[in-house]
This record gives sequence, structure tokens and C-alpha cells, in this order.
Amino acid sequence: MSDINKEEIPKIQRIIAVLWPSFLTSGVAMIILYWIFSPEELFPELIASGVGNMAIYSVTFLFLWLTTLTSCLLSCYFLRPCNRCND
Amino acid sequence: MSSTDPNNKQEYDSLYAKRKEIYPREVHGIFATWRVAMVALTLGLYYVLPWINWGEGRQALLFDLPNRKFNIFMLTLWPQDLIYLSALLIISALALFLFTTVGGRLWCGYACPQTVWTEVFLWIERKMEGSRPQQMKLAKSPWNLNKIIRKGGKHVIWVLFSLWTGFTFVGYFTPIRELAQAIPTWDLGPWETFWIFFYAFATYGNAGWLREQVCIYMCPYARFQSVMFDDNTLIISYDEKRGDPRGTRKRGIENKPADKGDCIDCDLCVQACPTGIDIRDGLQYQCIACAACIDACDDVMGKMDYDPGLIRYTTLNEIKGEGLHIFRPRVYLYTSILIGLILAMGWSLVTRIPVSLDVNRDRNILYREATNGDLENVFKLKIMNQDSKPHDFIITMEGLPGSVLDTDQDVISAASGETANTLVRVRASEDVIKDRSTSITIKVTATDNQKLTDEEDARFIAPADWFQ
Repeated sequence: MSDINKEEIPKIQRIIAVLWPSFLTSGVAMIILYWIFSPEELFPELIASGVGNMAIYSVTFLFLWLTTLTSCLLSCYFLRPCNRCND
Repeated sequence: MSSTDPNNKQEYDSLYAKRKEIYPREVHGIFATWRVAMVALTLGLYYVLPWINWGEGRQALLFDLPNRKFNIFMLTLWPQDLIYLSALLIISALALFLFTTVGGRLWCGYACPQTVWTEVFLWIERKMEGSRPQQMKLAKSPWNLNKIIRKGGKHVIWVLFSLWTGFTFVGYFTPIRELAQAIPTWDLGPWETFWIFFYAFATYGNAGWLREQVCIYMCPYARFQSVMFDDNTLIISYDEKRGDPRGTRKRGIENKPADKGDCIDCDLCVQACPTGIDIRDGLQYQCIACAACIDACDDVMGKMDYDPGLIRYTTLNEIKGEGLHIFRPRVYLYTSILIGLILAMGWSLVTRIPVSLDVNRDRNILYREATNGDLENVFKLKIMNQDSKPHDFIITMEGLPGSVLDTDQDVISAASGETANTLVRVRASEDVIKDRSTSITIKVTATDNQKLTDEEDARFIAPADWFQ
């Protein structure tokens, strides 16, 4: 057990490795997306029904973050040493 | 509790081991003064800048996302100007390379938001809980009224300061004066509220709780900064030749024992370290080069009547006795690229003409016969006014002598940041058309400023059978 622990990454590092890179990449994706398209082009119906740009930007960002976060979570999950599956 | 070395295998590598709390000792000295000055400068700018106006009621720095425009003092940038943002990022990265090559992690120690906000949070902590020994005693003491008031008070002040930080952050994206007016009646938009709390939470968590763990686990720069180091880079280092062998001594009686070096092993450099390392173990990636250990050590050296600089800014070459070499090819290279980029970006910004024209042929028809028998080509024009003021534009054309340009209106108005769409018809009689395809230039010019102009080439198409 102690041998495994020596290879172990601190829990806080795992949490950060999921939350933080996903936050950064979704930010970059967000900038590129809205550099090319305006919210009016992407969601004309929402704009017409009175939804503000701020809400569209925010929800887009949170959605992108959720997507990248899921990907980071899966990476973290698959990075677990395989030999431990049989422990 | 004095040594919380993250290199300690058992402590840090165990999944269940809890991180030991670090209580950095307060230090005074030249570098602490520099850091306080930098905290005042950077945070002063952060909290004050959004309140500054440029011109009539125009916030000087406003990243106006709803209207998709960035106010940067006299400039207004639009999504099309993203190139400037990219250029700014490249320039910042190069500047960081240059500073790192010369002075090591200067950014980390004096300018990084994590350091700067942590300094403020540490200051609040000291005001509420006292000095390092007092804080450690309070942490161990059972919960009583005094502990609740001190700890609770600290968190209340931290939260309030974080909320102010979050409010200021949102103030860079939503006009801060409108935001401030909405606060007393809590009339904020739902997303403004969300982002204020989000950023406040991030500030409270990073500067209050995570602290050195942000530098160790979150910072990408910390991981790769070592590749910019060479043997001539300034680093904070303990002079082992002078300091070792270490040991305590009786003050006054035994000031310079023959069997000992200058390090009296007082541990103050370790207690002062905000990342909890012992600088005497050599250069470590956890070191953010804040120089708190230099201040702590120099203070002790002064009390012992020893020369300062047992821990100091030095280079690997200087320690080896080869002297300081600040100016070297790598530094010249970074500096010249940096200056070149800054000049290019400055020139591009100064000469930037805030209007753009887009000409597209009417896709339905190549050419047609006008009512007077002339040949007619139709073009769709998009005029984007990127200036901070509204303008009227006139449209002109060159390249086909004897032709007529017919527009819907004499002048086309476009508000600030608006794109005006219009159709133009170019008409020419058969005798002036010399070729099947003639290059023409369509040009827009603001009526109030001749320099505000843009042009684009297009082609005037005639029937192929005219020229067979």
C-alpha cells in the first residue's frame, strides 16, 4: 500500500487538474467562438425573445466549461494505474 | 510546524496526508518594501481603473461584451481587432521571457495576482490574528469567544474584500457606475450577480485558502520557467560556502566560532517563506522568488554584526566565482524582438483607420441592361464604422472612365460600431467598356474626415460575346 502511495498525486492537485485546465480552455474556445460569430448570428430566436447577450455569453461559457470539465474528469479517471483495477 | 517542506515525501505523497498550514512570518526589509509598493501599484490600478472616464461619460477601460466592443482609453476595438489582443499576449509572453532570463521569477514575487492578493489576505490575517506565533497558538487553542471573533472576523473581512474584488472585475465588463447604482437596491442583472460571486469566491479561495498550492499546482509558468534560466540568471540563493557548517552560537561570547559558518540556523528564512521551503536546500521549483528569506536573513546578519547577503540575489556563475553577466546574447535577442513587436503594434494602432468596406457582387445576376440601354452591375456594400463616433459616408468609384455610380442615398450613415448595408449600381454604355472584365475600385470616405476611408477592388463584367 505504501508503494502505491508514493506514486499518488495529492487530492487537491487532482481537483485542480480537472477544474483549472477546463476553465482556461473553455475561456479560449469562448473567445474564438464569439470572435467569429455574434450572439445574434448564433441565437437569433433567443435575442428576439429578449434574452440579453450577457446571459448568452455566460451560459455558453458554463456549457463549454462543463464539456471540457467532463473531458478532464475522464482523463483523470483513465489515468488511474491499470494494475489497481484488480486490487 | 516551522518546517513544512513540500519535498517531504511522507507528508506530500500520501493520499490522505493533510497539507500543513503555513504561517509565513512577517518580514521587513528592502524587498518587503518593494513588494508592498508593487501591491499598492497593481491593486491600486485594478480597483481604480474602471472608475476613470475618458471623454464624456465613456469608461476608459470597458470590455463591453453586450455591445461587442472594447474601450481602451482613446481606442475602441471591435471583434475584428482581435489581432491586437493576440499581439498584446505575445508581447506579454516575450516580456515575461526577458524578465525571467535576467531576473528569474520576478513576476511571481512581485506582480502575479496570486502573490499580490495573498499579500493583502496575509495582512488582514495578521491584523485579526496577530503575528505568526500568535496565529499558531490561536489555531491550537480550543474554540472560545476570542477565537470565534478573531477567526470569524478575518473571514468576514476576507469575504467583503473578495466581493469588492468581484464587483470591480464585473465593472470591467459592465459599466461600473451603473453597477454601483444598482447595488443599494440590489437591482443587478442575474448574470452580473453570478459573476461577482464567482470571482469573489475565486479570490477568497485562492488568496485565503489555496495560497502556495496555486503556484505549485495551478501555475503553468512555474512548470516551465526553468527552461528560461541559465547560469547567468539572477536567483535567490543561500551562500553555502559562507554559511556552512551551520549552528547556533551564544551572542556576544562566541560571535565567530572557528568551526562554524555564518548561518546561525535560526530558521527565520524558513518561517518567512510563504511556500514553506528551506532556501538552504538549493533552488526549488516552489520558490516564487519573493525574497522574504533575504529580508529575514539580512536582518539577522545585521543583529549578529555579520555582512548581509548570506541569502541573496545571485547567479550560479557568481557563486562559482565567475562574476555577473547580465547582458548576454539571449538578453539582446529577447530585447530586440520585444522592442520590434511593440513598435510594430504601436505603429499599427496609431495608423489604424477605423472604417472597413466589404464589397460583394450581387450573386443573382452578373450584369443586366439598365432602362437607358447601359450595362449595369450591382454590388452589395458593407460599411463597418469602427470609430467611437457616428459618421456619414460617401461612396465613390474609380477605374472605368465614363461610367456612372448610382447609390440609393447620397450619404450612408453608420452609428459607432454599426455596419451599414447598401446596394450600388455601376452603369456604363457599350462604347466605354473596353474589356469583358474591368477592374474597378469602390471607395467609402467619411464626410467629416477625409482620412477615414477604405477601398476595395471589384470587377465590372460585360457580356463575353461583345468582345469576340
